[in-house]
Amino acid sequence: MEEWRFIDFGLVDIRDMMAMDEAVLKGDEGNTFFFWTPKKSIILGFFQKAEVELNLARCKDYTITRRISGGGIAFSDDRCRQINYGVVGTIDNDLFPLDIIESYKQICGVLIDTLIHYGLNAAFRPINDVVVDNKKISGNAQTRWEGKLLQNGTLLLDFDIEEMLRISNIPREKFMDKKIASVREGLTWLDRELGEQRDMDEVRSIMKRKFEERFHVRLKPGNLNRKEKELTESLKPKYYSPEWVYR
Amino acid sequence: MMDLSKTKQGIHKSRGGLIRSFVTIENGIIKDITISGDFFLFPEEAIFKVSERLKGAPANREKLQKNIEETYRREKIQSPGTSPVDFTESIMKALEG
Repeated sequence: MEEWRFIDFGLVDIRDMMAMDEAVLKGDEGNTFFFWTPKKSIILGFFQKAEVELNLARCKDYTITRRISGGGIAFSDDRCRQINYGVVGTIDNDLFPLDIIESYKQICGVLIDTLIHYGLNAAFRPINDVVVDNKKISGNAQTRWEGKLLQNGTLLLDFDIEEMLRISNIPREKFMDKKIASVREGLTWLDRELGEQRDMDEVRSIMKRKFEERFHVRLKPGNLNRKEKELTESLKPKYYSPEWVYR
Repeated sequence: MMDLSKTKQGIHKSRGGLIRSFVTIENGIIKDITISGDFFLFPEEAIFKVSERLKGAPANREKLQKNIEETYRREKIQSPGTSPVDFTESIMKALEG
């Protein structure tokens, strides 16, 4: 059986992680599946503007950076109950389809299979969401580079809606209760769906197994190679720079 | 960087995400423009080509859409759930707003 690389980056500074993320895409090690756990942070989508999306005065204790893919803000509070994953794959129309939505669907299938394992009614909602009973439980973002794709995503185990709204640039705070209720309608998380907390390592190991089953591969633990490490170092200044984050 | 306080903002929701356009015009000509939002577009850097081409162009729906479509062709842009019509709509909302 074919072996692909697996990396668990553990608890990371999001700026370092985004540099490693890009380095894996632009490196030469081949197909890779990886996890990471972000510290308190906000990742802007490629096209977003920090001062438009965020109440920056309230974000002072957050690490903010920007990723190379589009989509919306990825917000991590200090509860850290989010599973963040990345996939780098060579586009081949079979495992990783050329069609963008089809390729989202294929990779999101790993999350759907995981949620179904827990007895939940999970489905893909184009373009890039995974939903449980039509409530979003996972957001995903993809970019492409020289015949390869990079997909990042998050599976929510817990989520602090009030904190998310507090740091967002929402003008009318007097409607906060209404706003919270409407987010609760559209968004959900695993702890809420199951009515209990699952061990994060357990959820990650099921995701890993579902990945292996879906792609018919064995995931072999590994690390960044020398070239990727060099690439990471050369990319880090970008993810730390105000020119990139606040452009 | 563009001073966003002096511009008009237009917001349009496409199937692929929210498009926020910040536009300044002078005598019917687009002087400056920034396109932001949570949509997806490949290759990402091509968004700067889209706005670059619109600077100095007439601020009407037909010309806007034509210019954006031309950049799509030249840069081989793909944007799932978002089209040149959506970007045009967002910019028009800024102009009308």
